[in-house]
Amino acid sequence: MNLKIDGLSFSFGQRRVLKDISLEVSDGEFVGLMGPNGSGKTTMLRCLTRFLPSESRAVLVDMKPLHTLTDREVASIFAVVPQSSSTDFPFTGRDIVSMGRLPHMRSRLSGTRKGDLDAVQNALDITGAAHLADRAFFQLSGGERQRIVIARALAQEPAALLLDEPTVYLDISGQLDMMDLIKRLNKEKSLTIFAVLHDINLAARYCDRIALLNQGRLEIIGSPSEVLTPEMIQSVYGVEVAVRRDPFTSSIYVMPRTISTSVARHGTRVHLLCGGGSGGPLMKTLFDNGYSVSTGVLNVLDSDYEIANELHIPVVAEVPFAQISDEAHMENLRLLNEASFVIVSPFPVGPGNFKNLEAAENALVMGKRVVVIMPSDAGAIDFVGGKATTFVKNLISRGAYKVSTVEEALGSIRS
Amino acid sequence: MVGSTAQEQSGQDGQSLRTGRRRPVLVLSGLCAVLAATLFVAILVGYRGPIGPSVSDHMSFGQAIDGIFGSTSDSWTFWDVRIPRVALAGLIGAGLACAGTAMQAVFRNSMADPFIIGVSSGAAVGAASAGLIGLTAVFGVYASPLLAFVCAIITVFVVYKMGTAHGRVYVDTLLLSGVAIASFLGAVVSFLIFIARQQFDQLIGWLLGSLPLVTWTQVGIVALPVIIGVFIIFIYGRELNALLLGEETAHNLGANPESLKQMMLAVSALMTAAAVAFVGIIGFVGLIVPHMMRLIVGADHRILVPASTIFGAIFLIAADTVARTIITGQELPVGIITALCGGPFFLYLLRRSRTGGIS
Repeated sequence: MNLKIDGLSFSFGQRRVLKDISLEVSDGEFVGLMGPNGSGKTTMLRCLTRFLPSESRAVLVDMKPLHTLTDREVASIFAVVPQSSSTDFPFTGRDIVSMGRLPHMRSRLSGTRKGDLDAVQNALDITGAAHLADRAFFQLSGGERQRIVIARALAQEPAALLLDEPTVYLDISGQLDMMDLIKRLNKEKSLTIFAVLHDINLAARYCDRIALLNQGRLEIIGSPSEVLTPEMIQSVYGVEVAVRRDPFTSSIYVMPRTISTSVARHGTRVHLLCGGGSGGPLMKTLFDNGYSVSTGVLNVLDSDYEIANELHIPVVAEVPFAQISDEAHMENLRLLNEASFVIVSPFPVGPGNFKNLEAAENALVMGKRVVVIMPSDAGAIDFVGGKATTFVKNLISRGAYKVSTVEEALGSIRS
Repeated sequence: MVGSTAQEQSGQDGQSLRTGRRRPVLVLSGLCAVLAATLFVAILVGYRGPIGPSVSDHMSFGQAIDGIFGSTSDSWTFWDVRIPRVALAGLIGAGLACAGTAMQAVFRNSMADPFIIGVSSGAAVGAASAGLIGLTAVFGVYASPLLAFVCAIITVFVVYKMGTAHGRVYVDTLLLSGVAIASFLGAVVSFLIFIARQQFDQLIGWLLGSLPLVTWTQVGIVALPVIIGVFIIFIYGRELNALLLGEETAHNLGANPESLKQMMLAVSALMTAAAVAFVGIIGFVGLIVPHMMRLIVGADHRILVPASTIFGAIFLIAADTVARTIITGQELPVGIITALCGGPFFLYLLRRSRTGGIS
């Protein structure tokens, strides 16, 4: 089935909910529809099913305009899976699935045909819902109900499944089960999937393409990695995120960063000497407390380096696994010189980054206040045969302030 | 627990359900057999004479059989009094139960009944005012039923208009306007009764629902809308199923919820109005019969509609038989019997819906 939407608009009275949306979904594709609350996702699905009377001339199904089809023809093209289904009436699972045959009845007088029974049984088997068929629908769990509803959708023998946040009321295993089932139907039955999804990471993992709506407009449509960029998510959802790649599934995933509440910046500058992941939490704490932070020298790929980038902190970088060069060291000293405080986090010291400790010594010489964090259980952070430990002790004896936790470090520069 | 009932029956019959629904056929044949037995008993049981007080001598079984098939002096009692009465009771019970099933589906509420859209209150106003405005002079014995029918339909139309906006039927609004208009018309009826004191007995009998002298003409007049109505509701069974999962789901399954609701409201109103016009307001049949059948056959309207229809007939024939025989020489309004059975059962369902699943 080929779905072509060409300039779809919809208004509730004066309020325009969908504005000139154009996109195409080709046969067998898995397309996710995303966007913040109120961006028009559900409205768009309802325009496709014609539950809402849109200008359905804008929608073409296999080149046929949607408005020329009968309700039952539409129902045998699109099967809809809502967020949740419930009824107080004692329908069995099989009763619910049998409802999927409604678009295919020949006339109201014709009885249940063998084809109907087979389609229902088939749908139950494929979705793994056969054991739920004779149980009362209202007694099933949310996940079991969704499974029955997907079976009903299959019994409709549709060309495409339209899903409206099918996992929103499910727990994490239910979410994954449901998405796996949908993906399997997509692959095995080459069923076209068009799904409103809320969870960005589920969408990134399962969708071939993602369409992102924002205030009724189609912001972008493309592969997950094209659509789910930090910039796009920032502009559509107003949330700062980091986008990473999952080493196991090789799909991308998104992690929220600070909710972008602006912290009052008081301008006090702190330079952080860190590395090996030791500086991240401190960087974040300082940042959240309104300090201006700079850091260096960090190797690219070091997680401290990534965090500094995400916080948009000035950072002196060195190529991965390389020794700190003189240029980087000089740059580090320059940043350090602009700061009022210097904090040394308990980073693993090796021959490559020993210069960062020397930078701390320079700071003392420059008359900066230097705080050294030394956790009481600090063991294997010295990879230069005790030289680092001696060096740090020397720093302390020359006036560096010694603390053991991030909180104490924060306290010491406040006083 | 309703759910466990459903589970038990499916546990035993899961196989037959899968291979061709033997159980529903079994239930429906069983109900037909019960109906036949009820008819048999209802026709044979009772006293000579149309209504109790004056004549109250018993008839033996032999005399009864002779009366039906021979041509004794009792033949008239059977063919012109008792059989049409039983037939009308059956038709009205069937019509009310079937309309009740449809209304519960339209309102997606198992507490709905055929009177919820104002049929009974409208009919009551019609019945109460018929004598007052002198229509009896023109239409004779049909004045009261005719006016009851017309007022019922007008009331339903007003309620329907109140519950409709932009061509859509909003069932919540419809339900509330039905309740509001019913209580308003209830006051009107009280007022009419207060004025027309001389017709008090007759009106009370009508308001409680009773099947006094029944003619074959009445049976014919009620049969037409009831049979057509039951047929229409039955063939829309699949759509009613879908409607119970919400209007959007019904739409997504290819049913048109708006025209379905309109059709069901119209058909139920006509059937119910025709039923109450002659015999008055017989309560609870349209409420509890669908409930009881749902406990037995489940919620699938392809089976529920015929089962409720048949059981409605059984229930009202039985109730009427009790009403005319339980007190020697006295005939109770059948509405008292149905309310006596229905009230407690309704409370039981209400309690259970609060504490667990609804049937």
